[in-house]
Amino acid sequence: MIMPSAAVVYGAVLGTLYVMYGIIQVYNGVYSWWLGGGAKAQLGVEVKGAVIPNIFPDPFSGFALITTGLLFLSALYYSARDGRGYRGYLLAGWMLAVVMMILNVIEIASSMLTAYYPVLLGEEPETWSLAEDPWGVAPHMVLGLLALPLYVELKGMLRELFPRRYVPRSS
Amino acid sequence: MALDKAIGAKRELMIRVALSGNPNVGKSVIFNKLTGSRQRVGNWPGKTVEKKEGVYRYGEKEVYVVDLPGTYSLTAYSVEERIARDYIIREKPDVVVDVVDATNLERNLYLLLQLIELGAKVVIALNKMDLAEASRLRVDANKLEEILGIPVVATVAPAGIGLEELREKIVEVARAERQKPRIRYSRDFEEAIAEVARIVEAAEALRDYNSRWLAIKLLEGDREVLELVGKAPEGGEVLRRVKEVRGRLEQKYGDVEMAFISERYRVVGEIVREVVRGEKALEASDALDRALLDRYLGLPVFISVLWIIFQFTFIASAPFSDMIADFFALLSERLVGITGVSRLDYMLFGDYGLLNGVGTVLSFVPLIMTLYFALSLFEDFGYMARAAFLMDRIMRRLGLTGRAIIPMILGFGCNIAGVYGTRTIPDERDRIIAIVTNPLMLCSARLVVFTLIAEAFWGPAAGSILLSLYLASVLLAILVALVLRRLILRGEVSPFVMELPPYQMPSLRVAATYTWLRASLFFKKAGTVILAGLLVLGALATTDAATLGFTENVSASLAAALGRVFKPLFEPLGWDWILVVSVLFGFVAKEVVIGTMAMLYGVPEELFSEFLRQRYDPVTMYAYMLFVLIYIPCLATVAAIKHETGSWKYALLTVAYGVVLAYLVSLLASVIGRALFPGA
Repeated sequence: MIMPSAAVVYGAVLGTLYVMYGIIQVYNGVYSWWLGGGAKAQLGVEVKGAVIPNIFPDPFSGFALITTGLLFLSALYYSARDGRGYRGYLLAGWMLAVVMMILNVIEIASSMLTAYYPVLLGEEPETWSLAEDPWGVAPHMVLGLLALPLYVELKGMLRELFPRRYVPRSS
Repeated sequence: MALDKAIGAKRELMIRVALSGNPNVGKSVIFNKLTGSRQRVGNWPGKTVEKKEGVYRYGEKEVYVVDLPGTYSLTAYSVEERIARDYIIREKPDVVVDVVDATNLERNLYLLLQLIELGAKVVIALNKMDLAEASRLRVDANKLEEILGIPVVATVAPAGIGLEELREKIVEVARAERQKPRIRYSRDFEEAIAEVARIVEAAEALRDYNSRWLAIKLLEGDREVLELVGKAPEGGEVLRRVKEVRGRLEQKYGDVEMAFISERYRVVGEIVREVVRGEKALEASDALDRALLDRYLGLPVFISVLWIIFQFTFIASAPFSDMIADFFALLSERLVGITGVSRLDYMLFGDYGLLNGVGTVLSFVPLIMTLYFALSLFEDFGYMARAAFLMDRIMRRLGLTGRAIIPMILGFGCNIAGVYGTRTIPDERDRIIAIVTNPLMLCSARLVVFTLIAEAFWGPAAGSILLSLYLASVLLAILVALVLRRLILRGEVSPFVMELPPYQMPSLRVAATYTWLRASLFFKKAGTVILAGLLVLGALATTDAATLGFTENVSASLAAALGRVFKPLFEPLGWDWILVVSVLFGFVAKEVVIGTMAMLYGVPEELFSEFLRQRYDPVTMYAYMLFVLIYIPCLATVAAIKHETGSWKYALLTVAYGVVLAYLVSLLASVIGRALFPGA
C-alpha cells in the first residue's frame, strides 16, 4: 500500500461529504416527489431563514453529488493501491464539482433576474430571497468552494490538457 | 440572404478556398474563425451531408471558403470522401487548406499526400500546436515546409493564432500559377506513374484532369476513374496500355492499391521522422479517460453530465423565455383592433389567435439556444465522443452496434439529422435498426413541449423530469432495437472502431456560432412549418362545426369536433379533446403541440403554466409527455426514413410501432402513477 498525498486525502474527505449530501438529497427527492411528503432532511446551518447548504429535493441532483463523491473516493483507492492513475479520478471529480458550483451560481443569478427584470418595464418586481430560492446556497456551491484548493494539485494536469498560450517560434 | 447574393454574384471574382482535413482536427473552428458570421449551412447537391460555405475579405480580395467533409483519405469508398474528392477535381478551388493535427502528424499527412496527387495548390494549417507542445512533441513547421515545398502555417485555431498568416498565404498561393511540391515516391512507382501519365496526356478527352492523379488512380484500379477513362474515345487503348504497366508493378509488389498505400505511409514516416522531435506523452488525457470511461463510474458520470446540461438549459433560459412571453402578451394587447376586421383580428391577435400560438413557440428560442450552447461546450471539450464510447460498450453487450450511438446523439438535436447520420453504418440491417429507432430520441422539438409541461408541474425539478424522459427515450430505443434484432433483422453485429479526439478547452465563440446557426434553423421552422400548421388550426378553431361559419366558441369549433372523434380512444389516459387535437397536429412538427394547446386554451403565455396545473394532474401529464415522446415522428422525419430506407415499409413500421408503443407505455405510466399516487 502506498501513502496517498495530502490532496488525495483531502479529496476523499470531500468525497465523503459529497456522498453524504447526495444520499440526503436523493432521500429528500424520493420523499418529496414520489411519496408526497413535505418535510425534508437538512444538514446545514440557518442564516436569516436560509439553510446553508440547502438540500433541495431532487434525486437526480443527489445522484450527481454521489457520483462526484465516488470519483474523489476512487482517487484515494487507486492512490493507495498502486500510486498511479488516481490523478484522473481526482481531476474528473474536481471538474464536476466546479461545474456544479458554477451551475448553482447561474441558478441564483437566473432566479434574481426572473424576479427583478419587470423593474426594467416599470413594473413591480417579484419577491426573491435566498430562503425562497429553489436551490439557494446548495451543497453544490458549498462543496464546490471546498474543492477549489485542489487546483494546486491539479494545476499541472490542467495545463497539459489546456495549454494556456502557444507562442509560435520565429522562423 | 445578403450572403447568398455575395456568393452568387461575385463567385467568379473571388478566391475560392476548400478546407480539407481529417475529422476532429479543428477544421470547423478554422472555418468559423475565418468567415465569422458570414456563412451559410446547406447540403451538398444530391447528398445529405452538411455543406458549410462562407466568405471573408482580405485586403481587396473576397475569399469564398467551403468546408469539405472530414475524411482520412480521398478514395471513393464513403460519401464524404467522394464529396471532397469530386469537389477538388471538378470545382478546382484556387487553394486547398489542409488542416493537419500536429499531435497526430502521421495519420494526417496521408490525406495531404493524396491532395498533392490531385494537383491541388495546398496550404497546410498545422493546427493544435499548443496541444503538441503540451504533450512534449516538437513539430518543426519550417522543416515540414522545406520538405514538402508547400507553405505551412502553425495555428492554434481556438485562440486565433496563425490565422492572419494563413489568410496571407491563401492569397499568395492563389496568385501563384502553380505549385511544385517536392514529394516523390520510390523509383518503381515514379516510373510507372510517369509512363501512365504520358499515356493519359496523349488522350484528348482526359486533358481536363491532372495526369499524375489519373495515372495513380488507374494504377490503383480505382473503379470510378476506370469508368471515366473507359468512356473516353481513346479509353480502350489507354486502359490496355495501363494494364501492362500495372502488371509489372503487380509482379513486384502484389496488390497495387495496397502497394501505393504502403508507399504513402513510407513517405509519411520519413517526413515525420524529420519533422517531429520528442515522445508523445498525453498522461493527463489518458488519466482523465481512465476516470471518465471507468467501467463502473463512466455511466454515472455521463448521467450526471446530462443532468448538468439540462439543469443549465432550464435555469439559464428561464428569465429570457419569460421576457419573450411577456413581449408577445404585450404585443397582443397593443395589436388587438389594428386590422379593423373583427374576425381577422380575433384569429390573429385574440386569445385563440395565431400570435398567441407563435409567441408560445418562440418563447422557447432561449431554451433551444442554451441547450445547443451547453452541448457544444461539452462536445468541444471532447466529452461527447467519450459518451459515445461508453454507450458502445453497453450496446455491444446487448448485441447492438455502437455505430448507432452517433446518430442517436444527433437525434437528440433533430431526428432528421439522426436518420441521415446512420449512413456511417455499413451493415444494412444495423442501419435499418438505427433508422427505425432514431425517432425515439428526444429531439429539440419535443424538448419545447416537455419544458413547458415539466416547468408547470415540477418547477425547479423540471430538469430532472426531463432527464428521466431522455433516459426513457434511450431505454425504449434499445428495447425496440433488441426486438427488431431478435425478430425481424437477425444477424451478426458489425464491429465498430472509433477515435477519441484529444481534450481541449471549449471555445465560447465556437459554441456561440453553433448556437446561432441552430437558432436560425429554429426561426426558419417557426416561420414556415409551424406557422402553416397553426394557421390551419386557427381556421379550424374559429369555424363552427355545425354551421361552418365564424365562431368565438372554440368548444363548438371544427377543431373540437375533430378532437371529440378521437377522444374515446384516449379516455383511459385521462385526456380531453384539446390534448387529442394537440397530438394530432404534432404530426406536422412537434412544437405545434404547444402552439396548439396555447391557441385552443386561449390563455396568454404568462398564465399558461398556472392554467395547466389547474386543469390536469401530474400523472396524466407525465404519461402525456411519454406519449408525445414515442408516438409518430414528425412529417419530415417520416419522409427522411422513407428516403434513407428506399421504401415506405420501414417508414410505416416506425409510425405503427410508435403509436402502439406510445399508447401502451402511456397507459402503463397512468395506471402505475395512479396506483402510487391516488391523490394526484
